[in-house]
Amino acid sequence: MSMKPIITRRTLLGTGAAAAAMTLATPGLVRANTFPDRNIDVYVPTSEGGGADRNFRAFSSVWKEKLGADFEPGFYPGASGRVGYEIYMGRAEPDCYNLIFGNMGPEVLNWAMQEPGFDVDDYFYFGQVDKDPCCLFVGAESPLQTMDDIVAAAKTRRLNVGTSRMAHPASIGLLSLGEELGIDFNLIPLQGGKGTVAGAVTGEVDFSVLTSGSVIAAGESVKTLLVFGNNVVGDRLNDAPSINDAYGMDLPEMLSARAFGIHKKAADDFPDRFDILTTTFKDTFDDPRLMEAYIASKGTPEYLSYAGVEECAAFKQSMLELGARYKSLLSGA
Amino acid sequence: MDSSTAAILNEVFFDTIGYWYVILPTIFLGLIVGGIPGFSAANTIIILMPLTLAMDLQTGLIFMISLYCSSRMGAGIPAILVNIPGTAGAAATPLDGYPMAKQGKGQQALAISFVASCIGGLLTTLIALATMPLLARVGFYMHSVEMIVVMLFGISLIASIAAQDMVKGLIAGFLGLMIGSIGTDVVYATPRGTFGFLELYDGVPLIPALVGLFAVSEALIIIEKRIIINHEAEIKKASWHDTFEGVSIALKRWWHIMWTSVIGLVIGVIPGAGASIASFVAYQQSRSFSKTPELYGTGHPEGLIAPESANNGVTSGTLVPLLVLGIPGGATAAIMLVVMQFHGVSFGPSLFEDQPKVGYGMFMAMAVCYAVMIFTILPLSRYMSHVTTIPTIYLAPMIISFTLVGGFVPREYMFDMYLALGFGVLGYIARRTGYHVAAILIGVILGPLLEKYFLWSLKKSDGDIMVLFSSTLGNILWVAFAASIILPIVFGMRRKRKSEVVIQ
Repeated sequence: MSMKPIITRRTLLGTGAAAAAMTLATPGLVRANTFPDRNIDVYVPTSEGGGADRNFRAFSSVWKEKLGADFEPGFYPGASGRVGYEIYMGRAEPDCYNLIFGNMGPEVLNWAMQEPGFDVDDYFYFGQVDKDPCCLFVGAESPLQTMDDIVAAAKTRRLNVGTSRMAHPASIGLLSLGEELGIDFNLIPLQGGKGTVAGAVTGEVDFSVLTSGSVIAAGESVKTLLVFGNNVVGDRLNDAPSINDAYGMDLPEMLSARAFGIHKKAADDFPDRFDILTTTFKDTFDDPRLMEAYIASKGTPEYLSYAGVEECAAFKQSMLELGARYKSLLSGA
Repeated sequence: MDSSTAAILNEVFFDTIGYWYVILPTIFLGLIVGGIPGFSAANTIIILMPLTLAMDLQTGLIFMISLYCSSRMGAGIPAILVNIPGTAGAAATPLDGYPMAKQGKGQQALAISFVASCIGGLLTTLIALATMPLLARVGFYMHSVEMIVVMLFGISLIASIAAQDMVKGLIAGFLGLMIGSIGTDVVYATPRGTFGFLELYDGVPLIPALVGLFAVSEALIIIEKRIIINHEAEIKKASWHDTFEGVSIALKRWWHIMWTSVIGLVIGVIPGAGASIASFVAYQQSRSFSKTPELYGTGHPEGLIAPESANNGVTSGTLVPLLVLGIPGGATAAIMLVVMQFHGVSFGPSLFEDQPKVGYGMFMAMAVCYAVMIFTILPLSRYMSHVTTIPTIYLAPMIISFTLVGGFVPREYMFDMYLALGFGVLGYIARRTGYHVAAILIGVILGPLLEKYFLWSLKKSDGDIMVLFSSTLGNILWVAFAASIILPIVFGMRRKRKSEVVIQ
């Protein structure tokens, strides 16, 4: 009597093929248990040693313990962040092992000015680390020391206003203020935070607009008059009121908001991995060591602020809409 | 200076001397990183940031200042010996330094450069210390309109270079200006001439252009010879005599060192201006008021002294707006700002009232560093100059590899290495066909800066070109600029007439 084999060649091949298909077809389900089994690569679209670098290192020093894997930054500066995003979207595998650490304010405005080589909906931000509201400030020796001075001076001549670059949330804040007050401000892009502060201090321009972290760092050389968001640091921004309170406006906060982003495809294909990323990201905010690391990296403690996928999406969308609205003024097109 | 300030200066002087064990090794580190193209004090401090932050405030400051000064000087060494300016600030150094090296005077040239750098740096540090409140005001008067004229001082060097062959000189200069206009425009960030390369959006990166035009093209040229120095120049056995002769040549021109370093100091205190502007402007001014302008570019000591004194004058200048106004004058000063803020130092007018030892201590550290540097580096000139006698079959590949790595370092893009090679080929063709690469480079470096200030001025005035003549200081500078162009021509004609009379 011959024994019938329990596993025939056909069943073996069939089972193997089914297993392989299962593995490939449901990667999130099968592989998520081991995620992450290697370090996470983070694309930073600015230079090493800058504010984003310090911010990233502070946050990832705590997050890596929650996630159980380290983060390896790669710096791709240039074209106001455009180079880093293009490289991330063009070369990085959408597998949740590659993230981008960008700025939802100025960098998203870029896409409104000039479309990138990828679809802006093909990536999204899932975790905001901090938010730094933009503000309006004058040099300590400027003849314009109050908003009333500025409004009065604007009636006699066109005021020159320094900004880091045209496509910047601070520029939009100023243009909105101009619309509200019926003033035509002349924006002068002074290429970066240092130049923008120097422009206001030395009188190259009448006053400047910039993210408030850089203005706080300038100390007593400058005086803040208005915040394009909420003033949560009080006298460090000279107790300047928010634009909405001062002028009864309804402007969304104009922010520099650093956040981690990811390919949409990665989140769709690997939902469990993405869930681990978002859960551990949020948990990081509950750890008191994060605040210590953030302060040590010269962050303004009040600006450390969590926001999840929905809030980030809403902010990204508002930047794109405002960018489109002011495109002609910001791009000269 | 009141007695309390004198007492503080006295105290910080002896305190700083006590940190000799930090200063000495940092000087050598700075000379190395300054000499490697692409590296600078700024990116070295970034790399060593964890170490710097772990130090106490005074040690950290002395470390950063020593690194800043010595790397500035270090950048001049390869510029003189092998035509590789390590940074844009040393771009004017090889104009006369390298011809000296080719004539077998490398050791002398190094000694001249070291003395000019140290005296220039030391002198401007002391001037900055004494006139800080006054100097801090310079930035309040030098706005975009005035800076346009300053840029023109530097760019007019193209005309001087073109004097040898007007058509080729001007073509090279315009080519440089065109290359300099690549990238997004200053106002609306519209890309121009980028050929679709995102890596060119911020303009042509300076270090790859610098090392390509100077070093790679030079490597291609020297490979045709056995050694760098000209065959007709005698290869002498190195001796201390050349070093002392270099020191003597430099010291005899003490006045030249003084006024060119002050140009560096004044340009250094203007936020955003830097060593590259200062060295070209100083070189141009030095040539304009020289009795022997025709010798510039052939290995003239004054053509080496001017850029080296000026770029070291910039170092102390950049500290002034940082300490007095809280505005960093350059990239290194910006990183110092971060480190000092980490230690809770607040900048601005009250710094010298609240923490006078920090403010004065930084200048004192700079003064002590320059004084120590002259004694530590001069003996090295004898050995460094041997580089020029290394057979080119070894030297040329080393130059090319070093410079390509240097081109890669600032942004870490492979694209920048290809760009350096491209500029190397351009430089080689230019040299072989009699076009001056320095004219191209001046356009590449100063062109974008001129454009920036010009567009700012026009934007501020709603496109009114007369804004260029709208400020008193600007108009004074315009007159000085016109004088610096016209007077040398008049003096030259007068000299020529006199010599003709003598011959008759």
